[in-house]
Order: sequence, then C-alpha cells, then structure tokens
Amino acid sequence: MSSDAVKKRKPKVIRSEAGAPETKRGRAEGDQVTYPAGPHLIGQRKLFTAKNQDVRVYNEEVELEVRDPQQDYMLYKDTCAALAKLMEEIQELKAGGAKVQSVEIEERRTQCSVHFITLKKLNRLAHMRLKKGRDQTHEAKQRVDVLHLQLQNLLYEVMHLQKEIGKCLEFRSQHEEIELVSEEEFFQEAPAEISRPHVTRDDQHQLTLARLDWELEQRKRLAEQYKMSLARKEKIQKAIEQKREYLSSLQPGLQNIMQASLPVQEYLAIPFEHMQKQAEVARHLPPPLYVLLVQAGAYGQACDKNLSVSISGDVDEAKALSRPPEDSQGTSVGATEHSQTLIFFSSVQLDDKRKEMLRRHPLSLCVDLKCKDGSVLHLFFYYLMNLNILTVKTKVSTTTDLSGAVSAGELLNSESLLNCLYASDHGKETPNPANRYQFDKVGITTFGDYVSDLGHPFVWVQKLGGLQFSSGGAQSGLTGSALSASHMERTMKLLRGRLQARLALHKQFSSLEHSIIPVSSECQHLFPAKVVSGLVRWTTMSCQEFTELGFVQHVLKAGLVHETDLFFMATVERGTARLRAAVVMNPRYPDVAPLFSLSLHWKGERSGRTDDNLQAMESEVNVFRSELQGPRPGLQLLTNQIQRLCVCLDVYLETESQVCDGSEGPKEFPREKMCLRTARGPSRLKPFKYNHPQGFFSHR
Amino acid sequence: MGPVELLHMSVFSQSFSPCGRFLAAGNNYGEIAVFSLSAALSPDASEASQKPILNFTAHDGPVFSLLSTDTHLLSAGNGEISAWSWAELIKKSTKAAWTRKPSYETSLEIPEINAMIINPKDNSLIVGGGDNNIHIMDMETGIFKSVLKGHTDYIHCLCFKEREEEILSGGEDGAVRIWDARTNRPVHCIEVFKYEECARPQFGKWISCLATDSDWMLCGGGPSLSLWHLRSMSPTSVFPLPGCQREAVFYQDLIMSVGEGPHVSHCLHGGTVKAQIPCTPSSLNTLALNLKNSEHRVMTVGGSSHQIDVFTNFSYRAFSLSF
Repeated sequence: MSSDAVKKRKPKVIRSEAGAPETKRGRAEGDQVTYPAGPHLIGQRKLFTAKNQDVRVYNEEVELEVRDPQQDYMLYKDTCAALAKLMEEIQELKAGGAKVQSVEIEERRTQCSVHFITLKKLNRLAHMRLKKGRDQTHEAKQRVDVLHLQLQNLLYEVMHLQKEIGKCLEFRSQHEEIELVSEEEFFQEAPAEISRPHVTRDDQHQLTLARLDWELEQRKRLAEQYKMSLARKEKIQKAIEQKREYLSSLQPGLQNIMQASLPVQEYLAIPFEHMQKQAEVARHLPPPLYVLLVQAGAYGQACDKNLSVSISGDVDEAKALSRPPEDSQGTSVGATEHSQTLIFFSSVQLDDKRKEMLRRHPLSLCVDLKCKDGSVLHLFFYYLMNLNILTVKTKVSTTTDLSGAVSAGELLNSESLLNCLYASDHGKETPNPANRYQFDKVGITTFGDYVSDLGHPFVWVQKLGGLQFSSGGAQSGLTGSALSASHMERTMKLLRGRLQARLALHKQFSSLEHSIIPVSSECQHLFPAKVVSGLVRWTTMSCQEFTELGFVQHVLKAGLVHETDLFFMATVERGTARLRAAVVMNPRYPDVAPLFSLSLHWKGERSGRTDDNLQAMESEVNVFRSELQGPRPGLQLLTNQIQRLCVCLDVYLETESQVCDGSEGPKEFPREKMCLRTARGPSRLKPFKYNHPQGFFSHR
Repeated sequence: MGPVELLHMSVFSQSFSPCGRFLAAGNNYGEIAVFSLSAALSPDASEASQKPILNFTAHDGPVFSLLSTDTHLLSAGNGEISAWSWAELIKKSTKAAWTRKPSYETSLEIPEINAMIINPKDNSLIVGGGDNNIHIMDMETGIFKSVLKGHTDYIHCLCFKEREEEILSGGEDGAVRIWDARTNRPVHCIEVFKYEECARPQFGKWISCLATDSDWMLCGGGPSLSLWHLRSMSPTSVFPLPGCQREAVFYQDLIMSVGEGPHVSHCLHGGTVKAQIPCTPSSLNTLALNLKNSEHRVMTVGGSSHQIDVFTNFSYRAFSLSF
C-alpha cells in the first residue's frame, strides 16, 4: 500500500511542483474522500477513468491505518532538520559567491522541494487522522444520545404514571364529607328497603351507598319540618306586633293619670314624680356633682329636714357633652402643640383657650339650708370639667330686710361669706395640683382672678364631691362617696353655724351703730347693773388701715392677723376719756374669738403696751373669753366683749383718781364701783373682775 | 397656752437654782417654768433649748414671788406658799414638798404674797403681801411664829440687812419701815414721798422696790429711785429715771434697775444714769443675777411679755427664753 505507485487521481489538492522521487516521498497522495468512508480498509474507489482490477489504487485513508503516528512524527522532525541543513548549505554557497543558477544550489533546492512535499503529506495525514477521530467520536456520541433520549422518555412516562397513581389514590369523593350516622344506628333506624342488610353487610360499597340514601331521606324530612316551623314563627311574630301596638296606645292614657296624680302627691308629701324627674336628670351629672347630690339628699332625708337639693341647668347641653368624644381634650392638646409659639398668638385666641379650660358643666346643684328664723343659705355648686374641681357660689335670702348696718356690709358678702369655713381654707387657689400645669399652658397665673366668676374652690367642696387631692397633709384614704359622707354632717353644721353667726352679727352691728350694746337677758349677770361708759362709734376698717395702727403691732408680730379677717374699730367714751379698741375678727367667729387691742386717750395717750392696766383689760376680753360666750352657740361673744370693755373702762377711770394721790381738784370720775382693793401685786393692777351677784370687783 | 394667752402673759418672778444651772420663772397664769441655762448657753443651743424643760401650773393666781433655798424652790401665789424640791423639779416631777398659808383675817379676797426673803440667822421665811402685814415662818417647823403690823396698805417688797438683823419693807402706803428681826418691833419709818427730791406726785407714793448694801438703801416706785444713807436717813442721790422702778439691785459698783419702760437701767452711785439697755418686754417686773455659778453668770429680766431676756454680757441682750 504505501509503496504503491504514484498515481494521480482526481486530485482535490493541486500539486504545484513535481517532487523528486525519494523513498520518503513514496507516499500516496490521496485525494480527499468524496463520500463517507466506511471502515473499508481497502476502499475501492471508482476512478473517473476506467481502470482494471489490478490497477493499484491510491487510498490515503487505508494508508492512514497502517502508518504509525509516532513514526510520522519522527519523520517530520527529520525532514525539518534536513530542510534546515539544506538551507544552511545554500546559504553558505550563496555567501561563497556562487551563482544562483549553479548546480549545487539547484540540487539542493530540488531536495528542499522534495522535503516540502513530504511535509505537506504529513500535514495531510495529520488532518485526516484528526478528522477520522472526530467522525468516530461523533458517531459514538450520536448513539449515546439516542439511547439517552429513550431513557428520558421512559423516565418521564414513569413519573407521569406515578403522578396519576398518586392522584387516583388521593381522590376524595364528596360523599365522604357528609357526616353519616354510625353503622349501628343506621342498621337500627333505616327501613329495610334502604338498608338492605343482606347485601350491605358484606359489601362496603353498597353499605356506603345505602347509608347515603338514608342520609338523603332524613334530610328531606327535616327540611320539611323547618319550613313548617318558620311559618309558625311568622304567625307568632305578627301576634306580638299587634299586642305591642295595643300597649303603646295605652301610654298617653297613663301620662294623663300621672299628671292628675301630681296634686295628690303634693298633698300627701310624697314627691315621687319630682324625685323621678330629678333622677332622670341626675344621670347626666358629672360624677362629683352626682356624689354630692346623693350624699346631700341622703343627709337631708336622714338628719336635716331643712336641707333640700335640686339640679339646675341645661340638660340638653349636658347630653350633648356626653355623646361625642371629648372636644375639650382636643383643644388642650392643641394648646400643648402651640405652647412654643404662645407669644405670637393674638390675645383673642388665648382668651378662647382660657375660656375653654375654665368651662363649667352645664348642670349645677343648688343646696338650700333653711334656718329657724326663715333665712335661707343658697349654695350653688359647679363643676369645672377640664380642671376637675368643684366650686361654690352663695346667696343669702332673709325674711327681713337687712339694710340697716353700714359696717355689716362685708358680713353677708357672697364673696367672703364662706371664707375659712375650715381653718385656712381660703378658696382662692385651686386645690388640684395638676391644674398648675394646665394654667401654664394658657397663661393663667392665678386662679384667684376668676374666682368671682366661677365660684370658690374650697377644699371642703371637693371633699363633699368625693374629690381628694394629695396635698401633702394627712389623707384619710377615703374617696368618692365615703369621703363625701364623712364630711357632710360637719360641713352642713358649719355652714349653718356660719350663716346664723353672720345674721346675728348683722343684727348686732345695726344695734352697735346706734350706740346700743345689745346684751341679752341670759348675759346680764356678767355685768353690773350700771355701766356709765358707752359705745359711741362702731366702724369697719380695711386690712391696710388696721396694720397702720400703732397699738396693734404686737398682734401682727404674733401672726394672729390674716388677710381674710374682718377689722373693726370701736370707740368707748366717758367724760374726757376715750378708749379705742381695734378688733380683729376671724371669719370663723364665734369658734375663734375676736381679738381686741386697746388705746386710751385720757391725760395722754396710753396703749396696752405702755400701761399694764390696759393690758389687763385686753386680757379680760381676749383671754377670759369663755366667760363671755353666752348661751350656745355663743353668738353674743362680741357684744359681751364690748360691754365688758365698757365696764373695765369704768373701773379704770374711777380707780385711777383714787390711786394717784396728790391730784388737785375734783375727781372727774367719782367712785361708784365697789372694789375691795384698788391695786394689787407688783404691777398694781386694778380690779377688773366682776363678781355676781355680790356686785363687787376683784382681782384675778 | 394658745397664742392669745401668750400674748397677754406677764412674768412676775424669777429664781436661779442653787447650782446656778436652772432658772425658774413664774407668770400671771400661775405657772412656773423651769429653763435649763446650761442648754440655752451652750454653743449648739437651738430654738428648743430656749423653751422650758418643765412647765406646770403651781397656783390658782399669779406667782408674784419665787425664792430659792439650798434645796428648795419656794413659790408664792394666791395667798399660799409652796415648796418644790429642786432635785425633783430637774427630774420633771411637779409634786409640791409642802404648802403653807399664813393666817389672814377673813376677807372676801385672798391677799396675794408679793415678797419673800430668808433670814439665814434663824432660818425663817419672811413674807409680805396683800394683807398689809409681814408674816414670819420658821422653815423647820413651818409654823408662822410672828406677824409684823404697821403698814396701812399692801406690802410690795422686803429686804434684809444681815449685819444688824433688820427687815426693811416697802409698801403701797409709801412708807419704808425698818423692823428688828430679833425683837420683831418696828425701828424706823421713812415716808419717802415726803422728801421733795424724790417725790413724784404725778405718779403716786408707793414704794415698789427696795435693796440694801451695808449702810446704803435703794428705794423707788412712785417716787424716783433714790439712794439713801441709812445712818443719816437721808437721800444722797436721786436717779432721773422716767418710769416707776419695780426692782433694783446693787451689783459691784453699779446699780441696775428695771420698771416701766422696755429697758434695764445701769446707774452709778453718784446719781447718773450710765446706760439703758433695751429689752423685749414693754415693761419689766423682775431682774435676777446668777451669781452662784461662775460659768453661767447671766442677768435675766422678765416683764409684760412671755419672753425672758438673757444678758450674758450685761451691756446687751443676748437672747430670750420663751414660755
């Protein structure tokens, strides 16, 4: 095969040069395969020109199988080396100056060409080997692919079938969702044609079918029953409607009867109707007012027939308040947001905010306390919603006209009537400490400015409404109704006492202004029959005027004077002697006695500080006040004190001329009072104590 | 005692304890208060130490006189004399050791006792008061052994001259009487208001303070405070003090007196007023010097106030004790 004769066949490769025959070059130059070569080692190809069977065919593919690639590689290397050597020789020759057309060069050139041809063949062979390899690979791959596809198909089918099986197994028939009666029950209850026990006992399928049939039967029956019941219900409903209409038609008739019974109720003093109405309105009261209403009403019923409570105000507004969510909260929130820019708000907006904060609940309570003489103390209680405090306003109505006394102007003034009902309860500031922060937001500095408008927020008012604010003092731990109840009796008694005291003072003042000291018959024994000194003037003073007096400084220093006190000046005269008494009256008169400070103008000016006897007179009325209380409730204290002052002045003046010896001229004040001794002790005090019934004066 | 009562309180008498550490004071309500001077004078004294350690009602009437013996405190009020043991008082026990009453002629009013002094020679108590007489009681037996009559009006003050054993008494009738303690007989009678230098008719004639120092005698009241030489029975100096003096003492070479007016007057023997130290009460009734204890050497004054002024340096008021 490799040594076949060189025969040119239809070459696809065009040989450009003829090669010198060499053993190495004895290689078949095959043309490219025109049709896929099967593994025919001896591929007989048809020549374009007809040849005989013994014509040697040049088949490079066949040659390919024979040759050894390794040998070809060695051949390639040798050829390259030879080529290189020849080139060198040619180079040398050319360098030696030989002509280009010389024979050696030509020879060498020819040899080079032959080498080139060898190289080309080798190249071809390499390419053909490569191609062959590729083809084989390709075939194998194709076979593998086909098998692979088949595998995939089968796997896919398997999966599909598995899924189908799964689905079939999972299938739930609707019939299984229906709750059927248990088998025993079924066999017991169902009639024979449905249950067909002979069949169903063995066959599960039939059993299930039978059970379903029975279920259907039962359901149909029950549906029938349901329809019938519905119809019955309708009928009964209609009957109820009719009866209701009938009842509502009775309503107007009943109202008429109630109206007609009102006079009967009044006659029998069972204000049933009135109480019901009040209860109805009371539902809309805010909680503190409600507590107050209930407690005051209860107290009135149980202990005090002269106390009555009523509600006044606008019920509709109250109802409107309780329905929507708190508007007031919205405004107060708005106030916090704008607190930073408060300065830039116009005063109108600030005013509105303040008004909103100080808003009163539309309903208010009116408590009336009647006294024996017919005068009534009206107390109006209001609830400030945003501040959560109660306030009170007062009014006094009397049976007689009280316009007599000038100095009594302040006594029944509604602003100050209830001052200090309990000690130091001024009612000028709000007792709720949380209000301080609320005030800061809207720029209210003191609540006292609004007190005349809104009423006084006394602490006892809060307690009556069940509101307890921690004020640092001792707390009782009660709240709500219990707190209210515990304070009710005492407060009502104090209120009544206050009214009576003020009314009594009113009467006394009108008498004092006429220079008559009213001494009742029960107190006559405290004083001698004849009292010469008399009251000439009784006036009221302001706090400012009082503090400017020279002879009261000791009282101020002792802290016994407060802004809420009432101040008066009494002037007692006898002959040329004039005694001025400055009176400090605590609003809680007569529980707290009035305090007198004296100044005598007679042969010079003396006061309780400079004259021990005047100090003794002061202590007669200030310290020994319990003797002067008079009959309970001690409303005559003041007038008794003034009368005692007159008596003491008498003694002072009459004994003065006695003690002082060596005075010329007639005594201005003759001795009329009976005294055992006119001086006693180191300070030589006069006898100011009156003894009844003997009627003489002695020392304490 | 409420604030109104405190406002009208007057302190009438004082007495220091024998050890000098405590002060007892009596007021017009009949109470006796015991103050601890050591607590009030200590460097860490507070408001509480100026309050009494003990305050109790001793008598029905004002306590016009207090006197301390070596062991007891004697108080006079409402015509009776009570004795309290100092040791018991310091322990805050208020039980009287004894109470005695001089015999009075019956009267509608119980006469007060204004002055008490002790005669150390025969251990007797000499009291004078509202019934114009001087009663002498033996301290051991408690019996009133004698009565000295002579005054026509009540007795304000008493004084004792140790050397001659003479009792001096001054009264509302303006007379200073001198009695012999051994024989109980009157020796002299000086009517001060008859002497022109001292008399002050615009005030009156009563003598409310007496003090003696060997041959000298101080007396004052309605008449001006004057220093008398007893041998010659004449006034040597008259002190130009404006008010009526209620108590005067000799102290070293000074004369200290208190009376109407809110000040303590320091005077010299020559008749000049050296100083007038202002005090809290508007008029003073009693002045006491604590000479028994050198640590607590103070002067205390009380009057028509519930406060008793304490002078550590006699020239100014240091602080006040308060009832």
